[in-house]
Amino acid sequence: MSTPAASAPVRRGRMPNLELPQKAQLPVAIAFVVLLIILPFFFAPGGSVMNNLVLAAAYAVMALGLNIIVGFAGLLDLGYVAFYAIGAYAMGYGGSLFLSELTGDKGFAVFVSGPAAELPGVHMNFLLILVLAIVLTTVAGMVIGLPTLRLRGDYIAIVTLAFGEIIGRIAINGDEIRLGNFQLTAGRQGITPVDKVQLPGLERFTSLDLRAWYWLALALAVLVLLVNFRLRDSRLGRAWIALREDEVAAASMGVPLVKTKLLAYGTGAAFGGMSGAFLASYTNTVNADQFQFSFSIFILAMVILGGLASIWGVVLGAIVLSVINNYLIPDVLNSVPQRLGLDFDLTEVTAGIFGFMLVIMMVLRPEGLLPERRRKLELEEGIGSDDAVYEARMA
Amino acid sequence: MSGAVAVGARDSEPVAHEAILEARGVTKQFGGLTAVKDVYFSIPRTAIVSIIGPNGAGKTTFFNLLTGLYKPTEGAISFDGDEITGSRPDQITARGVARTFQNIRLFGTMSAVENVMVGQHARMRAGLFGSILRTPRVRREEREVREKARETLSYVGLKPQVHDQLATNLAYGDQRRVEIARALASDPKLLLLDEPTAGMNPQESDELTQFMRRLRDDRQVSILLIEHDMKVVMGVSEQITVLDHGEKISEGQPQAVRADPRVIEAYLGKQESERQH
Amino acid sequence: MEAATVPLSRSTSLRRLREAGGRYVLIALLLVLPVAYGIQDLSQTGNLSRLGNNLVDGLSNGAIWALVAIGYTLVYGIIELINFAHGEVFMIGSFVAAGFFGTIGLTAAAGPAGLLVGLVLTLIACMAASGVLNVMIERVAYRPLRGAPKLAPLITAVGMSFILQNVGLLWLGGSPEGIVDLIRSQEVFFTFAGVEVSNGDVLALAVTIPLILLMTAFIGGTRLGKAMRATAQDPDAARLMGINVDTTISMTFLLGGMLAGAAGLIYALYQTTIWYFQGFTAGLIAFTAAVMGGIGNIKGAVLGGFIIGFIQQISDNRIGSSWTPAVVFAYLVLIMVFKPSGLLGEQTREAG
Repeated sequence: MSTPAASAPVRRGRMPNLELPQKAQLPVAIAFVVLLIILPFFFAPGGSVMNNLVLAAAYAVMALGLNIIVGFAGLLDLGYVAFYAIGAYAMGYGGSLFLSELTGDKGFAVFVSGPAAELPGVHMNFLLILVLAIVLTTVAGMVIGLPTLRLRGDYIAIVTLAFGEIIGRIAINGDEIRLGNFQLTAGRQGITPVDKVQLPGLERFTSLDLRAWYWLALALAVLVLLVNFRLRDSRLGRAWIALREDEVAAASMGVPLVKTKLLAYGTGAAFGGMSGAFLASYTNTVNADQFQFSFSIFILAMVILGGLASIWGVVLGAIVLSVINNYLIPDVLNSVPQRLGLDFDLTEVTAGIFGFMLVIMMVLRPEGLLPERRRKLELEEGIGSDDAVYEARMA
Repeated sequence: MSGAVAVGARDSEPVAHEAILEARGVTKQFGGLTAVKDVYFSIPRTAIVSIIGPNGAGKTTFFNLLTGLYKPTEGAISFDGDEITGSRPDQITARGVARTFQNIRLFGTMSAVENVMVGQHARMRAGLFGSILRTPRVRREEREVREKARETLSYVGLKPQVHDQLATNLAYGDQRRVEIARALASDPKLLLLDEPTAGMNPQESDELTQFMRRLRDDRQVSILLIEHDMKVVMGVSEQITVLDHGEKISEGQPQAVRADPRVIEAYLGKQESERQH
Repeated sequence: MEAATVPLSRSTSLRRLREAGGRYVLIALLLVLPVAYGIQDLSQTGNLSRLGNNLVDGLSNGAIWALVAIGYTLVYGIIELINFAHGEVFMIGSFVAAGFFGTIGLTAAAGPAGLLVGLVLTLIACMAASGVLNVMIERVAYRPLRGAPKLAPLITAVGMSFILQNVGLLWLGGSPEGIVDLIRSQEVFFTFAGVEVSNGDVLALAVTIPLILLMTAFIGGTRLGKAMRATAQDPDAARLMGINVDTTISMTFLLGGMLAGAAGLIYALYQTTIWYFQGFTAGLIAFTAAVMGGIGNIKGAVLGGFIIGFIQQISDNRIGSSWTPAVVFAYLVLIMVFKPSGLLGEQTREAG
């Protein structure tokens, strides 16, 4: 795939091409990951820098998951927060006091040690919770995907958004839904505290030393990074690109649309769930107010900023936006409006800043900071259209 | 030449040997519009047959019915002995029907090789987990598929130095070639070509005609052609079916169809206008 | 999934049934809530006045959704874009209304004539502000992306929506703001068969119905209206016919925005509470209305608006208002599943 880029008509020629040559990619990738692994030794283990690193890694997992759905398969999902919520509730159910009314005083512990094993409620090893989160979100991803299968791109966006909002509403009002002793969610009150991560053979994580959290999140991120790369250059990855560009031609070449799309939804959702479970444990709460539409857009903005379908781009987008969201806006620039004589804090308009970035990126550099070659072509030349509709989509 | 052609009647199947594809009483309506009306049609095994007709006669609609993009309002279609009415396009492709499109529909941002690899989708087995783990079997399959894609591209006459070019950057004639290679990649028993010579000069059209014969002989493929270039149609077809306003108005061997007064009538206006060009 | 071996006659008749059935399934789904609660009312109180009250309140809510939904439908009809920021245009309409009351010093004490004049002026101000805003949104966020893949303008639309929400947040703060109750919105105007019709209900319908009639006449009768319809059908052909497509699109956004502005005023008068987040939910409800009626179809948008208003009111009143968004979105999903082309829509290429 060493096509000379020069042969493509380039309209936005002034923009630098940041794509790495094929041969340089692997060494650079390894160096980058090694750097990320040793990064915690330079910072205080319990400080805010570590906190930001943990969050950035966890968001990168989500962004790379969403990239499979939006970037690879071209299905604009505006309800990704649903998977964050489901993953978080998997952690809430499987690792807190929340279900103590069901389990009684004795509690129910699976592969956990220490005081948690004695507490009421369900307490499972984090690996089991990850599996639970993956199963739940994969199923949810496919269920949400089903009604969108015969719809066009923009309708898909709205339906996924609607699902995200429905899940969010269920989370908020779930404290009203009771079945005997079982309460669906803790609503806005939130499930707290949540068990800290415990992995086999390791001590339970603590909130004093964030390095363990960081390495775990990094491991998840590297895993999803690997999955992204492997899938991109596979039979499935080609099928995704094909149906993104031309569903009719893809189906006529033997690509089953339903299965191929559902695999994208399911895989992308699973990573949202993994990260959601992790974040629930890390932030020590599963609160319904976390699961809002703006979170879906936050993650989507990472994918767009970095470059749709561009794997390293999405990583970059996740890092940049986490830093802006968790550090620059609240800690550095928050008082700028005040100093300019304006009566508000910058944190109030975080969503607007991200909205502004979406508009600017789409108008000025739709292919993102680190463009993916195909997506760049599609965005610049309008290759691929989703207006072709035929009858066999649902079948 | 007296009208030796049986016209559109149900009992007039000019099938000498076993049919690879058979359409029985196929009708397609869009709202109130009938695009294809009660067409009986069959393709003999390893034959090269054509569908012709004036613009808007329902030829491409009929193609889309055969490949599953549309579902017939009435009627049934069978392929290789199995019923395929209402099957999905990918299922029909998996059974051995492949097609090209009138307005080339390559995946523009993929290289020629990758386009052809997509064509082999139905013949591949790598699944989600296999692809993630990249098992030896998946690696081998990937390598073989890539290899075969290059062979197929060479077979249709694409120079090796452009195999890795993006489809959108290929010359028009090469794009046509890649589309045929992509269709061939699924090892079809029946190949549907929708106006393959559109935009080609006479020499290229001749080459394509030669190619179709060679293809049939090499791979035992049956070929169904929609074509406007009468020279190509008459030169290559063993059987011609004429559609007009969605109905079959004539069918038979080239000579007979050419002489059929109903065909001449259907084409008259068109020929008049073509003469002026 | 249809098996290939299903006998021919059965598979085709089943399919026809499904095609024709989508509309009836949708209608049946829409009737579930009213009928269920109607039966409950009858068995508990022996009359339907509670449901009747829901209906009246639903219609006046529906009038607001109808006005907003027309904006979605006009824009979608002409450039096939879900103008995601439309709900925020409506929200800004409400904010302008509240600001304008304050600026001209309009209070409930102004007397009927003063109120009428003041409200008409406010209506003009709201419509102008929202209309111009909508045109600006198109100019900044959508026009540069014409010809790009569909996802691109949709993403900028979401971005614009967030920006405008924050404008609203900075304007009036982050929590719902009570405003002056000019028309004594909840006061009963008249009672009919146990059903109370309030001032707010009367106002909503009195403003909405003439506006919708005007709009229909405008699109049906004027040159610009014809240009809009022509552009909607085929932009390239319209351009060849000498229609200025850019102007036509701008005018479409202007009209849609104006109606959203009017809706914003009605909402402010009716609810007497406004906040920056009202546009998000309202936008999705109105979009649901537009899809329910059949997107691109103005009559459909109005019908959808009234239906969704009724459903929303039933949900608010009986299930609980915190569940209402979930109920409305569930309907949105169901419509997409059973009849994406909507109640009055044709089987179009957008709906598949």
